[in-house]
Amino acid sequence: MQPRETGGTFNFGKDAVNTRVRYFELTVWPHMRAAYNLARWLVRNEQDAEDVVQESFLKAYKAQESFRGTESKTWVLSIVRNTAIDFLRRLGTTAPVSLDEHPYEPEDRAPNPERILVERSRREQVRHAISQLAPEFREVIVLREIESLSYKEIAHALGIPMGTVMSRLSRARSLLLLELDSAKEVQHDLP
Amino acid sequence: MTCREAGPLLHARLDNELDMAGAAGIDLHLSECRACAAQYAALENLHEEIIAADLAYAPGPALERKLASRFIKSKKPRFTFFMATAAAAACAVVALVAISGRTDALDTEILDNHLRSLQPMHQVDVPSSDRHTVKPWFQGKLNFSPPVPDLSKDNFILIGGRLEVVNRQPAAAIVYRRRQHIVSLYVSPSQGPDSKTGLHEMDGYRVVHWRKNNESYWAVSDVDANDLRAFAELIRNRY
Repeated sequence: MQPRETGGTFNFGKDAVNTRVRYFELTVWPHMRAAYNLARWLVRNEQDAEDVVQESFLKAYKAQESFRGTESKTWVLSIVRNTAIDFLRRLGTTAPVSLDEHPYEPEDRAPNPERILVERSRREQVRHAISQLAPEFREVIVLREIESLSYKEIAHALGIPMGTVMSRLSRARSLLLLELDSAKEVQHDLP
Repeated sequence: MTCREAGPLLHARLDNELDMAGAAGIDLHLSECRACAAQYAALENLHEEIIAADLAYAPGPALERKLASRFIKSKKPRFTFFMATAAAAACAVVALVAISGRTDALDTEILDNHLRSLQPMHQVDVPSSDRHTVKPWFQGKLNFSPPVPDLSKDNFILIGGRLEVVNRQPAAAIVYRRRQHIVSLYVSPSQGPDSKTGLHEMDGYRVVHWRKNNESYWAVSDVDANDLRAFAELIRNRY
């Protein structure tokens, strides 16, 4: 039943809202988990990740007209990614890292007592190693290894060329191998 | 192929980003070069370790509720909402078909249904990871008996089932989870010869359809194409 009181103008406004809700349901909502996961990995804490997702969804809700209807997942992820980077920039916790600099100095390799005391499970070691990567490497690892995106999709989500996706992924994996091998060695040294 | 040429391609090989000729070239090099083979094994091992660690963060139910009430709940009453958006839905269908070209309307209906099910509280009518709970639940509700295989060994975890209508026919939707991805399997009676699996891609999602023993099957998800094909073949080979 159509509500009776819907006059011309009001009805039009309501249709517009409903169309937007429908668009949101089909285009944005299905990517909520992926959006949260990316935000959580980028800002590295729960509360901030929730804020980033809410802000991103509001942007996506308003930006309906700018979505051209091909790749909704990468479109949503690109909004989340940019919102997260802006958020970190506001906090001043991230300095832009150039590929020429050494983006990440692995922790002191010497088996210091503190490190030995922190006997992490392998899963935590992997999680820790990824979380310590510079954001530009962390995001390609998260999108490729955790979200299973293709190179093309990653390029779209991050707004970078495919070649850059490949070089960052290769660099990121080398850094992870280096860090995780040393983590393994530290564990071997344990009594 | 030299090691210098092979180096960057090891990643593309690992990530299934090479065409057949490219993959064959790398495989040949790997069979001849120990150093590259060791490097490839290390990358493969890292890839598997990250996947095994299951590192996706899941949003809490509070966030899900907050987002749903802010962006989705305004759609009531449902009937009005349906009327108001029928035109929009028709446009969306046309757009999807226009983009993919080969996609038929039924695949779009399946994908739409799957997407709607991802909203909170819509996923399953019978939430259970036990096939002995889910399968009997369909009895008496459908005039056929849908398969509810246990695929946990293959890392597809049963979440539950629900009733659906596909192509104006009653259908069973059986829902699985693979890591953080939801995979819906739709089963509905349909007369016709058996067919092989066919894959359609739409908007980052994949739909695999096949027919066997007068039942139509659709598997839909955003998992990668190989995983969804593997899922479809597991079921097709069993039933």
